[in-house]
Amino acid sequence: MLLEAGTQGSKIVEAMAELNNKAVIHLPKVGPFDFSITNTVLYMWLSAVIVFVLFFVAAKKMRKSPEGLQTTAEILLNFATGHLTGQIGEKGKKYYYLILTLFSFIIVTNLIGLVPKPTQLLGTTPTANINVTFGLAIVVFAVTQYQGFKRHGFRKYVGSWLAPPGVPKAMKPALNGIFFIVHFMGEFFKPLSLAVRLFGNIVAGHLIILVMLGLILQYGVALIVPAGAFVIIMLLFEVFVAFIQAYIFSILSVVYIESAIYAGH
Amino acid sequence: MDVHAAARLAAGIAMGFATIGPGIGIGLLTSGATQAIARQPEASGEVRTVFIIGLALAEALALYAFVVAIILMFVVA
Repeated sequence: MLLEAGTQGSKIVEAMAELNNKAVIHLPKVGPFDFSITNTVLYMWLSAVIVFVLFFVAAKKMRKSPEGLQTTAEILLNFATGHLTGQIGEKGKKYYYLILTLFSFIIVTNLIGLVPKPTQLLGTTPTANINVTFGLAIVVFAVTQYQGFKRHGFRKYVGSWLAPPGVPKAMKPALNGIFFIVHFMGEFFKPLSLAVRLFGNIVAGHLIILVMLGLILQYGVALIVPAGAFVIIMLLFEVFVAFIQAYIFSILSVVYIESAIYAGH
Repeated sequence: MDVHAAARLAAGIAMGFATIGPGIGIGLLTSGATQAIARQPEASGEVRTVFIIGLALAEALALYAFVVAIILMFVVA
């Protein structure tokens, strides 16, 4: 459909093809799976390396009075251990670093797409690909369910999905069924909404910028000033969204993990 | 009306209607948060956390419709 509309002369739709994945290194297909390395994967690796180097270099030579990279790393660490995981309590202490990693990785992946790059580098935002955000959400889902089943055991954890104590005896079986279905679906909707929220916010911002720039391509140079001004404002807003979405993703992960740790309370 | 036109129209309608609910929700949420901070400025940190979580949950509803609209635009049409 993209190509079809492109030949019809819609420059905006043509520009939207920029959001697609492009394979950088072609690898042979294994069955139905295509293991080719795309630009999304490359930029994901790049941001992972940036996060690693940031904390590695900062931890290499620690000073009493922090300077340079150490300040950034300490701000992130304090934010993750203090503010984000404040409500998880003593029991969830080992997840401080998962949340810290998620938070810094999502910030870097969001911001890496906002850095202007020449077209030869096939610039893209990894979090504008739903596979990436789903991967991150599946990690949170796995941690949540592992915590729930390990801490409470199968009976007690599934029991916390049933009707709360104190309901009339006659209604208990019916209510149990309804509560179980709702909670069971809820467990799967949590990671789904995490993934879709991050993906949707990033893609929506990119689409707006693309459409505004596509207007220049479509209707001529006269639109450069208004569209350009709008795009600049939108890009500034995108920086804000990059931070707020990383914050929301990690704080909701904390809430979900916490709800599994304290299930049935 | 052919399928392609219908799908594009549906994408626009879906997006427009889906923003009504979250719009009202975020408005109520912001008004509540401002009042809470105005009455109790010392609790502004906690109010902000709850506010942002609620914001994210309300916003997600519009984003589901956004994904549906994207599917309608680029997959169906």
